[in-house]
Amino acid sequence: MTTMQSSYKPQSYNVVHPLKDVPEQKCSSEGLGQIAITPSVRLSLRILRGYLMLMTVMLLYHVLDLAGALKHFKL
Amino acid sequence: MRIEKAELEVTTRPPASGLVVRHSWQKHLLTFLMVFGPGLIVMEADNDAGAVSTYMQAGGQYGIHLLWLLVLLLPICYFVQEMVARLGIATGKGHAAMIYERFGKWWGHFSLIDLLVVNFLTLITEFAAISLALGALGISPYISVPVSALGLTLMVVTGSYLRWERIVIVLCLIDLTWFALSYVVHPDWASVAHNAIIPTMPLGGVTSGLVFLVIAVVGTTIAPWQLFFQQSCVAEKRLRFSDLKWARLDTLIGATFTVCVAGAMMLVGNYGYQHGIVFEDPAQFADAILPTAGHFARNGILLLMVNAAVLGTTAISLASAWAYGEVKGWEHSLHKKLWEAPGFYATYIACVGAAAAIVLIPHVPLQLVIISVQVFAGLILPSAIIFLQLLLNDHALLGDRWVNRPWNNWVNWTIIIVLFALSLLLAAQVMLPNLFK
Repeated sequence: MTTMQSSYKPQSYNVVHPLKDVPEQKCSSEGLGQIAITPSVRLSLRILRGYLMLMTVMLLYHVLDLAGALKHFKL
Repeated sequence: MRIEKAELEVTTRPPASGLVVRHSWQKHLLTFLMVFGPGLIVMEADNDAGAVSTYMQAGGQYGIHLLWLLVLLLPICYFVQEMVARLGIATGKGHAAMIYERFGKWWGHFSLIDLLVVNFLTLITEFAAISLALGALGISPYISVPVSALGLTLMVVTGSYLRWERIVIVLCLIDLTWFALSYVVHPDWASVAHNAIIPTMPLGGVTSGLVFLVIAVVGTTIAPWQLFFQQSCVAEKRLRFSDLKWARLDTLIGATFTVCVAGAMMLVGNYGYQHGIVFEDPAQFADAILPTAGHFARNGILLLMVNAAVLGTTAISLASAWAYGEVKGWEHSLHKKLWEAPGFYATYIACVGAAAAIVLIPHVPLQLVIISVQVFAGLILPSAIIFLQLLLNDHALLGDRWVNRPWNNWVNWTIIIVLFALSLLLAAQVMLPNLFK
């Protein structure tokens, strides 16, 4: 009688929660400085900065006006 | 692409122990369940008190004519938040930290201040909703607001991110009740399906009110704090590179669930449209439908309004606390005890406490706060997405693996242009109310 030796080994998977896993090496900005952007993107960001500041001031004025805080300053 | 030097030493640790399973489908399912959370929370928390009010108003004023807009917003929500999740997994850092590091102090502080201001104004509206809804149920604001603020504080100071996450997921799932409410008000499901796919014009055509509501729905569905929140949340949960596909699925499920819940809110509001009920807020609507729709509908709307406000408050306050902690370089983690991250917890508690206190001041112009929130959020959202877009094209930081593909960029620039146009339209409409008649 011959015996057959099975080479089958049940496969298993080890599932680890991210909080319990070994930390990974992440992409770091250390030593990179600021992002490299083209002159056109830099100009666009400056325009965006101006736009946001202008709109914020306009909104603040509008809200103060609606709240009646500016009525003493109006002619 | 640079690698965190501090992380190099930890890679020599032995492999972490976990759960052993026999089949690959079990492995996938279990990994997904472990990753699941930030995507659902960020999306569903956006269905906050302001969103409940906006979607129900949309239903109340225009019936189911704006359902298609929600369907259109689903992929937009997903595309924007997928970028955030990808950036969070790739860098392990929050959005505020990345803007500060890559665009310098000016933009870092500007983005942070914008975020803190708009978040704080939003928190006031959340507590106003809690006060309104529980007031309709007979609970004094002097009890409901401080108790809610205390509960919201206790939720986060346990020193466990996972405990907080599980509580919030349960709160998200409570929103399933909106589907039961929409069923109770008996909409015409064939018309619902038709209007969800094919845009139809409401009676009266394009009016100033319709334009405002369309912008409000867009502004409510995509909010600036979501970008900061999900990236910080992903970093807090320490998701790994291999988790990205599950984080994407989490985000997609969250977006789909949120849009469906928003649709259910619109269907409930549609009950007012069908029965000629005019209302200014959901609490008023809930009281008005009591005789015809019953106690379940009335109390359900009021309690779900509170749930929405609680969800919004915890997520928005955390977005502020994480962002402030990142820029200040403080310990900023829910894994830390109260005394281990005092600045982070103090920011959270200050946001919650101050917003709750303001709501209790008599004669505070809450309507003005609500308008300011909508306009300010509309103003800063496109610029916040621009930074996200630039960061996702930062080859020096992310390498070729994590940056946007060309099709990503086309989609995202289209979204940015549309949001900018809507933001300009909103600003013009609020500041010059007679511009559109």
